Amino acid sequence: MEPELAVALPAAGWACTAALRPRPRMALAAGAVFGAGGVAAILFSAPGSASTDLGVSLTITAAARAMLVVAAVALAFVVILAPARAERSTMLRWGLAGLAGMAAIAVAPSLDVALIVLLALFVLQAAALGRRPYLSRLRGPLLAVALIGLGLVFARMGGPPALQRIAAVGLVTGLVAAIGAVPFVQEFDAEEMTATSPMPWLTFVGPLLAVVVVARGRELIPGQVDVLGALLIALGLVNVAYGSIAAWRVDSAAAAWRYLFMADWGLVMCGLGLGVADGLRAALLILFGLLLVRLPLYLWSRQALRDNVQNDRPVNLLVAAALAGSAPFAGFPARVLLLKGATAMYWPLALVLAPLLLLWIPAGLRLGRTLGAPTGRQLFGVAIALAVSVVLGAYPQPLLSLAGL
Amino acid sequence: MTAAAAIAAWVGGSLILLSDGRRGLALGLAVLGGGLAGLALDAGHAFAAVALAAGGAGAGALRLREGADGWGIMPPGSTPRLILATVSALIALYLAAVITEGPGAGFRFAVPAVIAVLALRLLLGADRAAAGAAASGIALALGVGSLLSTGGAPEATCIAAAVVAAGLQAITHAEPDGA
Repeated sequence: MEPELAVALPAAGWACTAALRPRPRMALAAGAVFGAGGVAAILFSAPGSASTDLGVSLTITAAARAMLVVAAVALAFVVILAPARAERSTMLRWGLAGLAGMAAIAVAPSLDVALIVLLALFVLQAAALGRRPYLSRLRGPLLAVALIGLGLVFARMGGPPALQRIAAVGLVTGLVAAIGAVPFVQEFDAEEMTATSPMPWLTFVGPLLAVVVVARGRELIPGQVDVLGALLIALGLVNVAYGSIAAWRVDSAAAAWRYLFMADWGLVMCGLGLGVADGLRAALLILFGLLLVRLPLYLWSRQALRDNVQNDRPVNLLVAAALAGSAPFAGFPARVLLLKGATAMYWPLALVLAPLLLLWIPAGLRLGRTLGAPTGRQLFGVAIALAVSVVLGAYPQPLLSLAGL
Repeated sequence: MTAAAAIAAWVGGSLILLSDGRRGLALGLAVLGGGLAGLALDAGHAFAAVALAAGGAGAGALRLREGADGWGIMPPGSTPRLILATVSALIALYLAAVITEGPGAGFRFAVPAVIAVLALRLLLGADRAAAGAAASGIALALGVGSLLSTGGAPEATCIAAAVVAAGLQAITHAEPDGA
């Protein structure tokens, strides 16, 4: 029953927080109770064992379960230590909706069902009050669903091997379009609320989606796994180069954050595409860091970005080091594992990746300053995020073990 | 039966591509649901067929609540859309009849053709009503696409697709058009 509850409890929490919107404290309490129940259900779900209580077989993989748990912890983290002007119950409402959708994607009996859930999530987000026109919010995401859908159909057709290769193209380009990375960058408005912007796909829902789509994709086209991997690596390298240079050079600091997320996604795609254990470990470590460190830091930087406050205090330098992926923060072992995996797979790839990793330094230094001068609850949050990053960097094995690696 | 259902599905998707009025979009969704249901029925999936037909009809009925008045089928300037709908069908037909092999030729024609025309609807510009109709149509096509697979609870997928397709049309939007 756990997979069903993992979906139902966050969904109930979302419904409660939406219904209790006029009473934020009650909404927060109800959402917290249901959300905690959902996390418990996720934790008690045994990876690989199927639940058939609803008449269909629902299972969850260890990697998807770990990603869900980390996403739930990240949500709790940003809600408890919410930015100064953010409404906690609103953040929790959006987060629980995302978490319920993510749980449904993770336990879905097939990629088709996961895709239908993703489609519903896209339309629900686009229907909310936002600054961008409706069509511009929906175009990229629906294109993503269409591309993955076409990939699924091609994967199931009998015929020449080229069909399976086209399926790989559909799956990979669809995944990239869903997260909004290059070449499917979505319109971005720095003033838009984070929940209605493209950011949740890059930073919250995207990590789980990538894990599910790549894992299921490998099962669907076992004969063309190398094509799937090559495409992921190619698009990953493009995102690494484009994202890290844009994060350094773009005028808007808010846009620079988004580009740095894209650059991180480039590394994730390379890691997932390598198809070796070290690559997968690197990808998951970067995704954990994205959820637990970079997403909270981005949210806390929003007010300083609006006020155009920049600072060079020690905390800003520490954040810069964490964003740049230097030791002892989480990005460092991920990069080492990625280079190790690339060397094992095809050593010239490591030669390309190594200099590209240096591009994180100017971008990190720039974005560390955009955090402004955090004080009080925000400073406490930054300290915790950095501590988590150090723990992940020094001893990542517990989380990797949770993901079955 | 298979050919008629597959062509009906493509006609439904093309109506969504070619229509700007709420009635045209609603008709497109209903015809698309009916065509895909016919394909499912022909393949021996009666429950899935009922779900898809109900999903298409429900989505079409709910679509009537919002959007430009009238049918709006093939308004002035829609020639490129008509050409693309035809080209999509021809490519899908070539794919289903010449390149691919095995049973389920109707699925192999209808699902790529429908997904392609609905994606084109978004890429060529659409108002809120048309984008919503395209989203519901894609959900229905994904549902019937799962019938090509041997595992993964395809009937449940069709039911989920039908529920989502109709549910997407029931969503009320927070603001009239962008901001």
